[in-house]
Amino acid sequence: MVMALAESCSSDEELVEATLTGDESAFAELAGRHKSRVFGVASRFANDAAELEDICQDVFIQAYFKLRQFRRDSPFEHWLLRITTFKCYDYLRKRRRTAPSISVDALLDSGYEPSAPEARAVHPDVERLRAALAQLSPKERLVITLLELEERPVAEIAQLTGWSVANVKVRAFRARAALRKLMEK
Amino acid sequence: MNNPPSDSELDALFAQARALRPDTSRAEYGFETRLLAQLRARREAEDPWGWVAWRIAPFFAACAVGLAVFWHSEVSSEPGVAEQFASFDNADTAALWDNLN
Repeated sequence: MVMALAESCSSDEELVEATLTGDESAFAELAGRHKSRVFGVASRFANDAAELEDICQDVFIQAYFKLRQFRRDSPFEHWLLRITTFKCYDYLRKRRRTAPSISVDALLDSGYEPSAPEARAVHPDVERLRAALAQLSPKERLVITLLELEERPVAEIAQLTGWSVANVKVRAFRARAALRKLMEK
Repeated sequence: MNNPPSDSELDALFAQARALRPDTSRAEYGFETRLLAQLRARREAEDPWGWVAWRIAPFFAACAVGLAVFWHSEVSSEPGVAEQFASFDNADTAALWDNLN
């Protein structure tokens, strides 16, 4: 009965309603629909497969427990990506607190794999870019990743982060300058 | 000491990095199952008695339905008001009418 409800629902809103009435399989269906987008964004920030799994689990667990706060004025996916953005930012901040700051060269020499979770042969300059990205502050890393790697429009980044459009532009400009400086060393 | 990349070089590097989107299909495999297990574990950790209450709620619901059915069958086995009046035949009704008048 419960499975039938989850499978027969076609819209995200119906699945949200079913989840709120205690139907876990409806939430599993929602997770199945949107996991690729969440994994795609989170993989730009995660250092390895374990961290990627942790971020994505945290995103969906928070979505589940905060589902009553979801206002239906925008699609469920936008709300989920906002949670994903905040979770990725949280992980960047946590990592920043625990890891000491080292240079890009030292980071690459230490065996750091910025292309994880799926390591593959990439151009050394791209590895250098990724190592430099890892050295940026969490806010700079977040804005430059969303803008340049995820190709999100400035207005959407402003919505996702809660910053103003002008603030996003300023942070992106500073992040780019910081990145060039890091790659100069 | 490297030269800092120019804006166009940086854009080209971003384009290359963009094209190398990590393949997350292996990480995604079975994610829903792991997620639901994690959700149950969190819920039990947060409110173990609430979870137990939800688990035994069907039992109490079944008891309530059983009691309701039993009570209904008991009540319906007693003669109703209509049945009591129906037991009077016409002679009784006429005698009752005479007494009243």
